[in-house]
Amino acid sequence: MDRSGDLLPGTFEMLVLKAVSLGDMHGWGIAERIERLSGGVCGVQQGTVYPVLQRLLRRGWVVADWRVSDNQRRARYYRLTAAGRRQLADEISWWRRTIGGVDRVLGAEPREA
Amino acid sequence: MSWFHAAKQRLADLFARERADRELAEEIAHHLELETARHVRDGLDPAAARAMAHVRFGNQTMITDAARAERGHRLAEGSVQDLSWAARSLRKSPGFTALSLLTLVLGIGACTVAFSVFNTVLLRPLPFRDADRLVFIREKTAKGELRPPSFPNLVSWREQTKSFAGVAAAQFPYPRTVSAAGDAEPVRLPSLEVTRHFFSTLGVAPVIGREFSDAEHAPGPGRVAIVSYEFWRDRMNARQPLGLIRLGDVPTPVVGVLPPGFKFLQPADIYLPHEGQAGTVRSSHNYLVVAHLQSGATLAGARAEMSALSRSLKTVYGTETEAVDADVRPLLDHMVASYRVLLSVIFAAASLVLLIACTNLVSAQLARGWHREREVVVRAALGASRGRIARQLVIESTLLVALGTALALLVAFGASSAIRVIGGTLVPRLSELSLDARVVFFSVGVALVTALVVGVYPALRLARRDAGLVLRSGRSGASVRSSVWRGLVGFEVALAVMLVIGSALLIRTLRNIVSADTGFDSRGVVTAAITPQESDAAKFDDVVNALRSIPSVEGVAFTSNLPLQWGNWSGPVRRPSDPKDRNWPAMAGFRVVSPEYFTVLRQPLLRGRAFTVADRVGAPGVAIITPGIAEKLWPGQDPVGKTIATNYLFNDWLTVVGVVAEASNWSMPHGTQNEIYVPLAQREKSVGQQLIALLRTEGSPEPVMVAARRRLHEILPHSPAQIGTIDERIAKSAADRRFAMIALTAFGVIAIVLAAVGIYGVMWYIVSTRTHEIGIRMALGATAARVRRDVLTSATTMAATGVVVGMAAGAYSTKYLQSSLYGVSRLDARVYVLGTALTLGVAVLAAYLPAWRSSRVDPMEAIRDT
Repeated sequence: MDRSGDLLPGTFEMLVLKAVSLGDMHGWGIAERIERLSGGVCGVQQGTVYPVLQRLLRRGWVVADWRVSDNQRRARYYRLTAAGRRQLADEISWWRRTIGGVDRVLGAEPREA
Repeated sequence: MSWFHAAKQRLADLFARERADRELAEEIAHHLELETARHVRDGLDPAAARAMAHVRFGNQTMITDAARAERGHRLAEGSVQDLSWAARSLRKSPGFTALSLLTLVLGIGACTVAFSVFNTVLLRPLPFRDADRLVFIREKTAKGELRPPSFPNLVSWREQTKSFAGVAAAQFPYPRTVSAAGDAEPVRLPSLEVTRHFFSTLGVAPVIGREFSDAEHAPGPGRVAIVSYEFWRDRMNARQPLGLIRLGDVPTPVVGVLPPGFKFLQPADIYLPHEGQAGTVRSSHNYLVVAHLQSGATLAGARAEMSALSRSLKTVYGTETEAVDADVRPLLDHMVASYRVLLSVIFAAASLVLLIACTNLVSAQLARGWHREREVVVRAALGASRGRIARQLVIESTLLVALGTALALLVAFGASSAIRVIGGTLVPRLSELSLDARVVFFSVGVALVTALVVGVYPALRLARRDAGLVLRSGRSGASVRSSVWRGLVGFEVALAVMLVIGSALLIRTLRNIVSADTGFDSRGVVTAAITPQESDAAKFDDVVNALRSIPSVEGVAFTSNLPLQWGNWSGPVRRPSDPKDRNWPAMAGFRVVSPEYFTVLRQPLLRGRAFTVADRVGAPGVAIITPGIAEKLWPGQDPVGKTIATNYLFNDWLTVVGVVAEASNWSMPHGTQNEIYVPLAQREKSVGQQLIALLRTEGSPEPVMVAARRRLHEILPHSPAQIGTIDERIAKSAADRRFAMIALTAFGVIAIVLAAVGIYGVMWYIVSTRTHEIGIRMALGATAARVRRDVLTSATTMAATGVVVGMAAGAYSTKYLQSSLYGVSRLDARVYVLGTALTLGVAVLAAYLPAWRSSRVDPMEAIRDT
């Protein structure tokens, strides 16, 4: 069963926020970070970062500007805003709660039911 | 501040959509480059690395669309997209776009121009302070007639009324000879004598100097003048101090200059204090009375008070005054009331033009929709919602209407300067025509309604189509039903017929007025008005000889008043048996004429004799009257030899020596009046009183006018003459109708052209949807002529329905024109037949080209094609 990239709704957005929070980065770099850090579990379709980045831009959680990248090309770099940082914190705590809940359910013994 | 970022982003995206798309594309390209480079580093060859990068990126189109969808507000983005789609689709069919724009410019332009005229003349306040509190007052007689008040009545009102902060009056304007400086060339300019507080009642203060003082209104020598701004600027060279001007021979100090553009009812250049010379008879009618409502007073209150006041004056003065009541109405009403109906008719006509334009656009959109059905259906099949498709079509027509409105405003702007020139002399206030904010607001409103009408119906029709049916059959699912076309064509033909009938009625009215029987022969009569000075008194014989010796002049006569000029004297007439203070049996105008007057004007003498040179000072006073007076005073008797008098026009008893036929002496075409003629030689020749020479010529009047001007200038260098013809005056008296005629004719022509374009378009469309059917018929043996005839017949049937409806609507709606018509019934058969024949002819002509095209269908091709 191939479930790669099949994430909980909203999760990918959180991952993008987190990736941006690690340092200003362009689209490819963000996709690459997520892929590398997740050990290849998350982010098969790299292009998906772009709609998400547009959404984050619209919500004011990231801002973008054009800079010269490492390979001496013009690239669009994304940076987290204060609102983005707050949002990321919210999402992480939401994620922890959710995961904790899911974990507890999954770790339950027959007699606890 | 996330909402701030959001808003900023949204705006930026809205206005920089293309830029954003470009940036996204660049980002993706950069992404793929980096990804490719990574795979190359991992050991793949460049081609495989690039392929791998694409695979790992995912579907580019979908991602781009998704990214776009995330960006900005959905509705706003959709609209921007629709707008550019609409612009593209309009560019793709330049013929349709150009024709639609032309139609819109004509329709909205006509409406805008008509409204701006309506607005300028009827709606805009007068240029006085508190203009809406100014009222115009007239006396009302027992018969209900409205008369200009007399001075004593005015004074009584002024003293006793509580409703008004000020009551003032002016006389009728009167031409005077003026020179701006001692040595300047004298000119004849209109002057106006005004009462106390005239300017302050109107709320106008001189821009230089002051208003007349009470002392200056007192009788006695030493008159002063106030001049118009234009006179001061152009003739006095804007000099200060103001100094003296010469009125005739009299040096007159100027005490004030009025604001630019000031005029009361009619323009005048010289204003003089009047009260020293005011009339004392209560039954005379010489004043234009204006009053300023006291703050807190209402029009109804003022009316009630004036009625009561008139009644009490009537009780006190009995037959000395004719006024039993007073008519009080807003000043603006008085000035433009007679134009309200005609301007409303013009405005209604413009609305009809707009309706025709809308009908054309709707049918053009429907016809075009048929050609575009495939495009729309494909879009629908690809997932565009019906709402979205309808919205796109509405946006397209809105864009069209917006462009059309912008152009129409430009055209209206240009047209308004032309109307100022043409109509400025025909309709009061029209010379001030301009497009103000109200007009622009109105046009935008009209445009919105137009866009709705033109856009929504076709859009709904088109969006409703069953996509599957059209795609499967490859042909229109259900083309617009023929009843819809019949309705649209019939509708615009009906509107055009109405407009043509209206303008034809006015054209005939105008012709009737100009050729109406005035009671005298006006053709070829040249008039020369002069105001002789004291120094000119001895030169009268020279003037007569100089004018008589002009080649082609057959006769010269003199009179005190131009024919068809209002503002002369009139009064009650009595017999010796009538007591002085009784109700008068007849009213009559009063005209001073030379012996040749009736011969020169060819006014037939019915009884007795004309005046002769023997009727001069010292000889018994004589008069010639019109039959109306004779019938009133001496019914069934011969009036010649009887004596008459009037209270204040002259003191002596006059012996009637002749009766002449009545003539239209005051205005056209209001018919004839009672008139008393007295010999010029028996009247005191008063200085500063105007004298009019009438020159009868058989040839063209122009050379006589030139010669008269030159000769009069030689003899009377200080009394400039005003030269004209009576025919000019007759034409001028129908000015309001001339303006309405010009406007309705213009709209009628536009209406016919638009209807023709509409019929042409519809027939063209019908023919092109039936090519297949026509091809089959021709293959089965129908001749080209037969096919052509069928198309023409179907066009004629559509138009004929419209003609019938249009005639009925015309017969109903021309009742609003009734009061403006003269000498023609509003149901005049000739007008209706001609109007409908013209419209029907144009309709058939418009259908001819499509009919011809239908007959050129190649049966083989038409059948194969489908």
